[in-house]
Amino acid sequence: MKLNVDQRWNLIDKIVKRTVSFGVYRHTLKEAIGELTVKPVSGVPIAIAILYGFWSIFGSFAGTLCTDGFFVKLFDGYFLPWMQNLFSKTPAWIYYIFVGDPQADNCFEAFGMLTSGLFVAIGVVLPAVFIFYLMLTLLEDIGYMPRLAVLIDAVLHKIGLHGYAIVPTILSLGCNVPAVTACRILETKKQRFIMMTLLAIFIPCGAQLGIMQEVIPDTMGWVLLYLLAGYFIFGFIMHKLLPGKSPEILLDVPAYQLPTLRNVTRKLRMRVICFLRSAVPFVLLGCAVVNILYLAGVIRFLSNALSPIFVGWFGVPKETVGPLIAAFLRKDLAVAQLSVIEMTKYQMITAVVLISIYFPCVATFAIMLKEGWKELLGSLLVLITVTFIYGGFLHLIWILLGVQ
Amino acid sequence: MVKKQRISSIYFSILGICTLIFGFLDIIVAIGGQNVSIGALEIPADMFRGGWGGFIVLSSGLFYLSGCKNISEIHQFSKIVMGSVLLWIVAGCDIFGMICESIPGGEEGPWFNTLGDFLGTYAPPYPPAIFLLPFSLVVIFCPFRKVNRKDTIK
Repeated sequence: MKLNVDQRWNLIDKIVKRTVSFGVYRHTLKEAIGELTVKPVSGVPIAIAILYGFWSIFGSFAGTLCTDGFFVKLFDGYFLPWMQNLFSKTPAWIYYIFVGDPQADNCFEAFGMLTSGLFVAIGVVLPAVFIFYLMLTLLEDIGYMPRLAVLIDAVLHKIGLHGYAIVPTILSLGCNVPAVTACRILETKKQRFIMMTLLAIFIPCGAQLGIMQEVIPDTMGWVLLYLLAGYFIFGFIMHKLLPGKSPEILLDVPAYQLPTLRNVTRKLRMRVICFLRSAVPFVLLGCAVVNILYLAGVIRFLSNALSPIFVGWFGVPKETVGPLIAAFLRKDLAVAQLSVIEMTKYQMITAVVLISIYFPCVATFAIMLKEGWKELLGSLLVLITVTFIYGGFLHLIWILLGVQ
Repeated sequence: MVKKQRISSIYFSILGICTLIFGFLDIIVAIGGQNVSIGALEIPADMFRGGWGGFIVLSSGLFYLSGCKNISEIHQFSKIVMGSVLLWIVAGCDIFGMICESIPGGEEGPWFNTLGDFLGTYAPPYPPAIFLLPFSLVVIFCPFRKVNRKDTIK
């Protein structure tokens, strides 16, 4: 049967009368709260409060309760003496690689593959990553993340990105590997390149945050502030220098909802297992490689060879070469290694910033390579430039302040 | 109903002013860098809890004050709710911190805290947000009515 135009309109009217009900739209409390979270005047304090809660719970759970409360006692009081006893009859070089320093009375200073390696991976980083992903999952499932994207959209446009770039940025605070993959949500090559480079340089992963909380709790805020400043400064420079487009997009903001236990546990399990698979072998391998390099004298040779750059340009002790090599395998391990090198508070800030910005860990490196070798080379070029400029600039600040 | 609304407005105005004052005090003490204890009240001096926490308490006070007029209107009421949520975040983090501190037995002690030390962790002094917490819970019982949105689909 074929209908003419009038018949079609009549049919539409009939369908509408039977299916659509007209009335007054009532604004709900959930919607009103949703509006408050995206308006800059009210949204910024709310975002600060959420970040405060995020960080406070992270520190209390991972630092106070798990690491300081139980794992330090377990590893230093029981595991380390057991390992020292177990390997006591092995040749010295095997002892050094697996257990580390024979004089050490805690796992932070031992630096053996099975002592510091397991302590860093299980005792420090695992609780940090667990609580980080739990809170991130809750924020995602409640529906806050899209609102944060809307709120920060205008700011991120200044560096050539848009609001959704907050998703890889925050994911990167957990682990850089999924964050680099998440860069695909950005529209253009230019945006993806800027995001990937900024993640690799300026965003410390959850493991690194956990260990920083343990090693430099007092100065960690400064380190993060410095990295955040770099994120925006170098993002802005890259946006201005690189050709390509940074288009506007429409963001879909879903309603706030209660997270379901099933979704939260499933996401959390998936992410923690992914971390354990990718991080633990690298931490253990990192300890072993660095110990072998120490035994072979390679680290001493590199320390002496690179001394003018490290001492003269960056203003840090030449011994930081060892941790910087370990940083290529795991940055959390490298920060832990820094804790036993004698240096001032300001040198420590510089050294931790250098470890954060100097090179992505090997897992991130591999995933960046998957995204394209040209992009990877470009990112590395930017990275080397940034490391020299930023590291030297930080040294200059300390000299000007007279605190070096 | 009108009387109830007026009482709610007055209540949240007073709570807003108190919250605002505590927020200011938090920030000032954080800048000063010295903990301040007055009876059961302790204002922390560290930049994170005092500075950032103080800023959030201050914002909470501003939310209360901007929402206390015509409280039955849904957008105004949402500001009151948000003011309370900000306080719950700060106080909740303080309480969570106490819980995490109270469970382990300390460096030289047993694995778990003794009952006495466990309960001792929850003894005063408390930071300002914990004092404000019970007063902010009133928002759960506060009446409000849904209002018609102007851009209806007619």
